[in-house]
Amino acid sequence: MASKNSLMSWIDRRLPVTENLERHLTKHPVPSKVNFFYLFGALLMVVFMIQVITGIWLMMFYTNTEEGAFASVEYIMRDVEYGWLMRYMHSTGASAFFFLMYFHMFRGLLYGSYQKPKELVWLFGCFLLFLLMAEGFLGYVLPWGQMSYWAANVILSLFGAIPFIGESLQVWIQGDYVLSGATLSRFFALHVVVVPLLMIALVVFHIFALHEVGAGNPEGVDIEKYRDKTGMPLDGKPFHPYKTFGALPAIGIFFIVFFAIVYYAPTGGGYFIEKPNFEEANFLKTPEHIAPVWYYAPFYSILRAVTFGIPFLGITSKFLGFIIFAASIAILFIVPWLDRSKVQSIRYKGIFSKIAMIMFATSFITLGYLGTKPVNEIRTLIAQICTIFYFLPFILMPIYTKYEKTLEVPDRL
Amino acid sequence: MKKLIFLAFFISLFGYSAGENKCGELEKCFSFESSVHDRDSLQRGLGIYKNYCSSCHTLRYLRWNRLQRDLDIPETVLIDDLISNENIKTSDFVTFGLPEISPIGAPDLTLRTRVRGDDWIYTYLQTFYQDTSQATGSNNLVYPGTAMAHVLIGLQGTQELDSNGKLIRLSKGALEPEEFDSAMKDLVNFLAYASEPARIERERNGIYIILFFVVFTAVMWLLYREYK
Repeated sequence: MASKNSLMSWIDRRLPVTENLERHLTKHPVPSKVNFFYLFGALLMVVFMIQVITGIWLMMFYTNTEEGAFASVEYIMRDVEYGWLMRYMHSTGASAFFFLMYFHMFRGLLYGSYQKPKELVWLFGCFLLFLLMAEGFLGYVLPWGQMSYWAANVILSLFGAIPFIGESLQVWIQGDYVLSGATLSRFFALHVVVVPLLMIALVVFHIFALHEVGAGNPEGVDIEKYRDKTGMPLDGKPFHPYKTFGALPAIGIFFIVFFAIVYYAPTGGGYFIEKPNFEEANFLKTPEHIAPVWYYAPFYSILRAVTFGIPFLGITSKFLGFIIFAASIAILFIVPWLDRSKVQSIRYKGIFSKIAMIMFATSFITLGYLGTKPVNEIRTLIAQICTIFYFLPFILMPIYTKYEKTLEVPDRL
Repeated sequence: MKKLIFLAFFISLFGYSAGENKCGELEKCFSFESSVHDRDSLQRGLGIYKNYCSSCHTLRYLRWNRLQRDLDIPETVLIDDLISNENIKTSDFVTFGLPEISPIGAPDLTLRTRVRGDDWIYTYLQTFYQDTSQATGSNNLVYPGTAMAHVLIGLQGTQELDSNGKLIRLSKGALEPEEFDSAMKDLVNFLAYASEPARIERERNGIYIILFFVVFTAVMWLLYREYK
């Protein structure tokens, strides 16, 4: 032991390892009582690691050319040892990433995890959602199947709808006048290097900011108020070993579900890997029905719900759709400044906050369902109503959170 | 309870079907779920593919030696009866020297069951009928105006549409209806195998991975209780 301690002190004099381990793990206080909603962050870290590791393996065998991409994915599925497992883990991991991310963020909305002083934690998280959406989109193009090609066409054409600069912007992004091999290879570079690097940086910022302001809890109680003699909050416990070991059974359960899907339903019934994507991209043949993967479906629905433009301003319905679609994500960024409530948690907020959360969740799920279906008049109408219901809770938030009656928050957890 | 609701929500996501159910002229395709674990069925399916499909359709992503290994085909049978061409190596793809883009537009069949689904292929193979207005002399309920001729006519016999749009048999083929049905199941099973050879291993081993994580979770639960 002596040699180990002297080794540690040798290192500590040069690199503050022990100090940081204590600061972020063994002496970092977290609320002693939280619920399962607080496990999604840990699970997201696990999924991020799955994506990085399987992604590196896939990258070893994938070919990023128009001619070779589709065949190289089949090569991975057939000739590479356990290539199929890597690919299915990566594709299922993408779905799991979004699934967990949505719950993680919904937890934030429910328990006010964005309120002062956690604004930056929330902002970094929102940037991570944005990057994840970009990453998922870029990655979906890589297998170069029919849905890769045509879904990418739909999204890239949105940039083309921007007045004046649209067309040249689209050509600049594509690197060609049509979606082609040039687009594929730059999307590959963005997917495997640029976006993941940004994500890693933001995860670090997200966690450092969180450790600075302290984790929240479902009650919205400030645990820093009462401390014992050692300085540890009375309602707090060290992150390690209490919370790290607490997350392990959840990780186990997650892996049971994850591998059940990977091994027995890897295409997720056409929702994780869509059927037309098993056919190579063909720019002469548009699929009958272009549907996004389930995790983009709510936002795609919002995009499609806008069937009208503002002609006298020269705004087409497509561009307006793009604006509202972008706004549906952008509005999440400003939530910390929309909420004027004295309390953090939904448990102590008033009835309007509760109705707003139900409204938001219901419209999000409904929009998601509609996004995977072909359009007809009734569906468009429902999507339009749901789009309004999606925005209303946020737009009205400054009003109802300020004036509604809240309950008294207890002192202790 | 809350956890149960979330689980139910997650499972219900799978309940939605990705597209509409309509199957060409039919309200719905005949339901059939392929299985890749019956080796005899796969071998019979390979036989039908070789005899009836392979002069037009390739299996461009499947290798002969993979087929040999997974379907347990003796080397002599593979080389003499199936490949029967000394210029083709066992590590080559199953293409029978056909060009990459078929001159008559026959699609490659390797991933076809994944694009269309088992149900669709199974129904498509069953619903050819006589139609003199078509160049091939036959038409299909699932894929009206299909360019493919009724190549299985010798096995199935001829069918015709009655005035209600229902299929009726005109003449007998070499197989009884039940035999033909089971032959088509073999063929779809084989094509499903060809679309994903790893599926045999995947579906066989998955349960062990899941059991491992069940045990892992139990042990981790005990650890968690120590530090609750």
